[in-house]
Amino acid sequence: MAVLRAERTPARSAPLSETSVLGWLRKNLFSSWINIILTIVSIYIIYITVTGLWVWGVTDAVWVAKDRRDCFDISIDGACWAGVIVWLDNFFYGRYPRAELWRVNLGGLLLFLWMAPLWLPRVKDKIFIGLTTVFLYPFLAGYFFAGGDKGLFMQVMISLAIVALIGQTLHAIIGVSSGRGLPEYLIRLLGKEEASEARQRHTLLAILAGALVVAFVGQMGWSFVGVSWTKWGGMFLTLVISGIGIASALPLGIILALGRRSKLPVIRVLSTAFIELFRSVPLITVLFMATTMFPLFMPEGFVLNKLVQVIIAVCLFSGCYMAETVRAGLQAIPHGQYEAAHTVGLGYWGTMGLVVMPQALKHMIPNIVGSFIGLLKDTTLVSIIGLFDVLGMLRAVSQDIPWRGLHKEPLIFGAVLFFVICFAMSKYSRHLEVKLSAGDNR
Amino acid sequence: MASVDEQETQTQLASAASSEVIIEFDKVNKWYGDFHVLKDIDLVVHKGERIVVCGPSGSGKSTLIRCVNRLEEHQQGTIIVDDMTLDKNLKNIDHIRSEVGMVFQSFNLFPHLTIIENLTLGPIWVRKIPKVEALEAAMLYLERVKIPEQANKYPGQLSGGQQQRVAIARSLCMNPKIMLFDEPTSALDPEMIKEVLDVMVELAATGMTMIVVSHEMGFAKTVADRVMFMDEGEIVEQNEPHEFFNHPQHDRTKLFLSQILHQ
Ligand SMILES: Nc1ncnc2c1ncn2[C@@H]1O[C@H](COP(=O)(O)OP(=O)(O)OP(=O)(O)O)[C@@H](O)[C@H]1O
Ligand SMILES: [Mg+2]
Repeated sequence: MAVLRAERTPARSAPLSETSVLGWLRKNLFSSWINIILTIVSIYIIYITVTGLWVWGVTDAVWVAKDRRDCFDISIDGACWAGVIVWLDNFFYGRYPRAELWRVNLGGLLLFLWMAPLWLPRVKDKIFIGLTTVFLYPFLAGYFFAGGDKGLFMQVMISLAIVALIGQTLHAIIGVSSGRGLPEYLIRLLGKEEASEARQRHTLLAILAGALVVAFVGQMGWSFVGVSWTKWGGMFLTLVISGIGIASALPLGIILALGRRSKLPVIRVLSTAFIELFRSVPLITVLFMATTMFPLFMPEGFVLNKLVQVIIAVCLFSGCYMAETVRAGLQAIPHGQYEAAHTVGLGYWGTMGLVVMPQALKHMIPNIVGSFIGLLKDTTLVSIIGLFDVLGMLRAVSQDIPWRGLHKEPLIFGAVLFFVICFAMSKYSRHLEVKLSAGDNR
Repeated sequence: MASVDEQETQTQLASAASSEVIIEFDKVNKWYGDFHVLKDIDLVVHKGERIVVCGPSGSGKSTLIRCVNRLEEHQQGTIIVDDMTLDKNLKNIDHIRSEVGMVFQSFNLFPHLTIIENLTLGPIWVRKIPKVEALEAAMLYLERVKIPEQANKYPGQLSGGQQQRVAIARSLCMNPKIMLFDEPTSALDPEMIKEVLDVMVELAATGMTMIVVSHEMGFAKTVADRVMFMDEGEIVEQNEPHEFFNHPQHDRTKLFLSQILHQ
């Protein structure tokens, strides 16, 4: 017996309890007596805190004053944001000479310019751009920040960095507008499409060499006043330390993780010991070790400045954590992928670099961003060993004579600042994860 | 599965086997821990020969063919592939592997690369062929496996049958001298099995040396020069397909054949 439906059933709207605000409230907040009481108590607590904060932080707050006493005179129980505002530059730049601040800003801006092509859809060779970001950008930015005399090595690296920046920016522009790359474009510009591949490569190398010479000569006549690292501070210093830590964490982590999985016992044991040593010690201990013990092992008269010691310590520490993240990512790759790579004749490095790592890195993004956020926050520990990073600066306000005793406001400001940065990073990682898994229809 | 009689009418591909030996196993033994997987394997494969290997699960078929491109190492005996002895002293495993193509049951395409990138990876990075030439060659092979239009998709966007044909094309791009197939159709839905087998039959017609682990008896009858039955790590019986299916000698073979034919 067949039963057929003559007409289609039209879609009806959901019951009110599912869609209306009132229905939602009733279902979730007022479903039973206990629930009602909890709801009312919670609302009351939230009301008190929020209004209290609002009155203290906004309505009764003092925004302009010349010192803390002045603040009290204007409003005794409001926040004294005036102190925070006066110190704002210090929070961001430490004691960096005010006339040279533009160098810090420009150096930071350069990073955005450098990495912008990575976000553009049609640009090719993003791996190359990523590599220059890690290996060349720091030299250029470093010179912007530190200034002073350039040694020959710095001059070469700066020239390379300038050429890389200009080259990849052009590459990105050409890529977005035509989907081609810079080398292809240059070859067409010179009318050498017909030439053999070797000839084309020679032409490109000649252009590269020419550009390097021009950049080298150009940078010789250009120099900045030196700014000692002791003047660096605030958020700028925090970002420099954690930025270098982050940039070196991934390469170091990959090397250590591969070492830990190596078939050679010596390499495996050394990598494992190294990773476990650093992971079992808190960062603050590593920092103390680096600044007090490290000099003992160094040859007589060899003085590393404290900042370099701290940066080395942070790099090793974050590298070891990253190694474990990378290892977990590697474990997620099925064995069949290694075998398939072997059967097309790829050796160890080819298999890792072309097949396994690209897939593993994709799995690892949430964890990588997580450890970056962790590192950014952990970096504030350097204030304990006497560097004036952002936390150091936030606490220094209360030592300043006009603002003596002003603790709360700067720290609240710092908390909000960190929250904004870290929250943005974690949101972005979430977005990246969704985007990457959308392209991966396994 | 079609019965043996029905297959009788199928025309068999002319043999392409030459007298030149390309693979030689001499008293090969292999253990996984205490477990003896391969027992005194003797095997000679001539250039252009096509061998189908069958046998119950766990009998060591996969292990046998994986020894050919040294995805597995054996412990005793000698294996010579293309005049190279596979042993601990072998310097150039990657070279042997690039001479021997392999197709897996689970395709094992690289999910992060497009189809065309899957095909050109080996030629560009191992054979160091210029990119343009590698792309051209890859397109030719994609046409041979009849999916040129999928070149820029990702493996996850293809059906199983299409993925397996890409896997075959990926191996062919390396211009291998030998092709190994490990149950290439057993992860596929029935309607896709034929499209993969068709590609394999065409490949056989070009004179490629092939060792195929498969229970597709129709395929064995059309293509194989020799069918080999393995059980418990031994080669129990091998014969040309007509004899093998119609007059199996060994009881174990008879039992096995009756099982797979009456599924
Ligand atoms: N890496 C390994 N370690 C230990 N034992 C293994 C390993 N690989 C395979 N074996 C065992 O070796 C035996 C032979 O395995 P093999 O994969 O060669 O069988 P097969 O004939 O291909 O079977 P199937 O038809 O199920 O694929 C099986 O009993 C299996 O459990
Ligand atoms: Mg098997």
